Amino acid sequence: MKDSLLTVVRSLIFVAFALVLCALVFQFAGYNAPTMLWAVADGAFLRSGAIEQSLRWALPLFITAVGVGISFRAGFFNIGAQGQFYVGAICAAFAAEAFKGGPAFLVIPALIIAGMLGGALWALWPGLLRLRSGTDEVITTLMGNFMAGLLLVYVTSGPLKDPSGSGQQASSRPLDAAYRISDSLGLSPTIIGIAVAVGILMWLLVNRTAFGVLASLAGRNGTMVEWQGARLWKLGLSSFVISGALAGLAGTIEFMGPNGRIASGFLPAHGFTAILIALVANLNVVGTAAAAVFFGGLASAALYLPIMAGLPAAAIDIINAAIALFITARSKLVDKVLRLGGRPS
Amino acid sequence: MNEIIIAILRSGTPLIYVTLAGVIAQRAGVWNLGLEGLMIIGACATIVGIMLTNSILAAILIAILMCVLASVLLWFVIDRLKANPIIAGLGLTGLGVGGTALAVQSIFGSQASVTAPFGIPKLGPAFGAYGVLSISVAAMPFVVFGIWVLLRRTRFGLRLAACGEHPFAARSVGANPSRMRLVALSIGGVLCAIGGAELAAGSLQFFAQGMTAGRGFMAFAAVIFGASHPVGATSAALFFAVVGALGIRAQLMFGDKIPHDLLQALPYLATVFGVWLSGKLRGGAKAASSFAELKDQ
Repeated sequence: MKDSLLTVVRSLIFVAFALVLCALVFQFAGYNAPTMLWAVADGAFLRSGAIEQSLRWALPLFITAVGVGISFRAGFFNIGAQGQFYVGAICAAFAAEAFKGGPAFLVIPALIIAGMLGGALWALWPGLLRLRSGTDEVITTLMGNFMAGLLLVYVTSGPLKDPSGSGQQASSRPLDAAYRISDSLGLSPTIIGIAVAVGILMWLLVNRTAFGVLASLAGRNGTMVEWQGARLWKLGLSSFVISGALAGLAGTIEFMGPNGRIASGFLPAHGFTAILIALVANLNVVGTAAAAVFFGGLASAALYLPIMAGLPAAAIDIINAAIALFITARSKLVDKVLRLGGRPS
Repeated sequence: MNEIIIAILRSGTPLIYVTLAGVIAQRAGVWNLGLEGLMIIGACATIVGIMLTNSILAAILIAILMCVLASVLLWFVIDRLKANPIIAGLGLTGLGVGGTALAVQSIFGSQASVTAPFGIPKLGPAFGAYGVLSISVAAMPFVVFGIWVLLRRTRFGLRLAACGEHPFAARSVGANPSRMRLVALSIGGVLCAIGGAELAAGSLQFFAQGMTAGRGFMAFAAVIFGASHPVGATSAALFFAVVGALGIRAQLMFGDKIPHDLLQALPYLATVFGVWLSGKLRGGAKAASSFAELKDQ
């Protein structure tokens, strides 16, 4: 327990490192760094109503991040959350077209299932390539992100195009109000309920089932797990599929909740942020919830900055990227100060 | 036919320079996913440099300086702070994409793209139809040859490979793996700067936010596809460029039958195929975590 607390402290030390690097980049790009960082904090948590806004962004991020954590634990670098998120939203949008007019209590679960299946499918093929032919999943999932992005451009400007849509961004026809699971603020009991259910189920899966324990062991030493009689490819493929399904679920929530439609290139940083959340939380489900609130705050600040403070939203991308640069760092000096022994996972 | 070859050389050259950077890093045992970020820093610094100094040489030197600095930062985080190279590389990419967007906004106001008055000098009419290509395209085969000599025919190249393959053994004969990684990433920084410069100032002479659009990642895939051999990886990068050029060709010919957004996905699909094939040829599944991390950590 004490060790896990200290790992969190170490994460925070490197987050502080990252913020210093950001301050340097801001200063170098011609902005006043303290003003910038203060505006970020203000937009994320301090101004009134900021917490609700942050939670709106935190919930979908939490769901994707838990999934990312599952595949990272099993030792697979599935960095394709963005693509799985998009394909999930696309499948839900197609299902919405197909089931138009049905009763809401049937259609809503059907759309959610369609979204999860879509996300799972987009994680299945890199998983199969990885476990059947040893194809490196870092590249396949990365390329999957680009392909899913193009697929989204295609469906929003082709089959699902909203003919009345104006502006530069192509988008799909809006979802019927009857099937929406939240208003555009995006904080409804349904979404909170889904996130809590995902959190509890995944915590149980990781900590209280043979699958969770074996998958975590497989991430550390696959050969050993294989010798003990577990099927490595089954464990691996399941963790790919679970992480894809959760990213797809998050995409579906964004589609059925706050957005109400899918637009080409929407939320392009979702997957990357979710990866960061999982890593900051050290792949721990409870920690993921806390980290999601922090990064949800940054995501809401990205909307606040250009409008309220006249600062570019790219500042948030830079903060996220700098945290990514440092988050897996293990400095001997820091470990010595914190008295963390051995090699942390 | 000339047009297709010119199109392939134009899109392939930036990719090849960046691929060579990835090859050197890979041989030193570093998975460099920061290539995308380094490339966009190079592209942005070149255009901003041209606008500020009015000299292409000074602009490229600025680009090289920025990319080498960014590479040293990556080395520090990976080697000294022992961060995971994949995540740190993705972080550097984000820093590059976000930082260049921020810089362009702060220097030129809220413009999405910046156009420079001139770019890298062209070969000129003496080369006929190929005169429209920049001199960095013509230099590319020599650079590939140079890197091949450096990696395969010199003492330095051998030591670099030793440090990447087996850092402990390399240390026992007096090589310093950590310093080798620094040198490898710095050379990579120079190559990424040239690749970025060629992308932004080779034929187009402008910089747009996010203009690399995954080319750095594609270069990384070419490194894996080409088994981190300079010539193999160059061929892989050229293959991606050919697929891309044919995709554009197909858009012109069957644009009305096949949606062009899906044709644009061809290079990414080719990358997946290439990596799958190279994994198949070498055989056997390795756990990612076992070779993504530096071997002496």
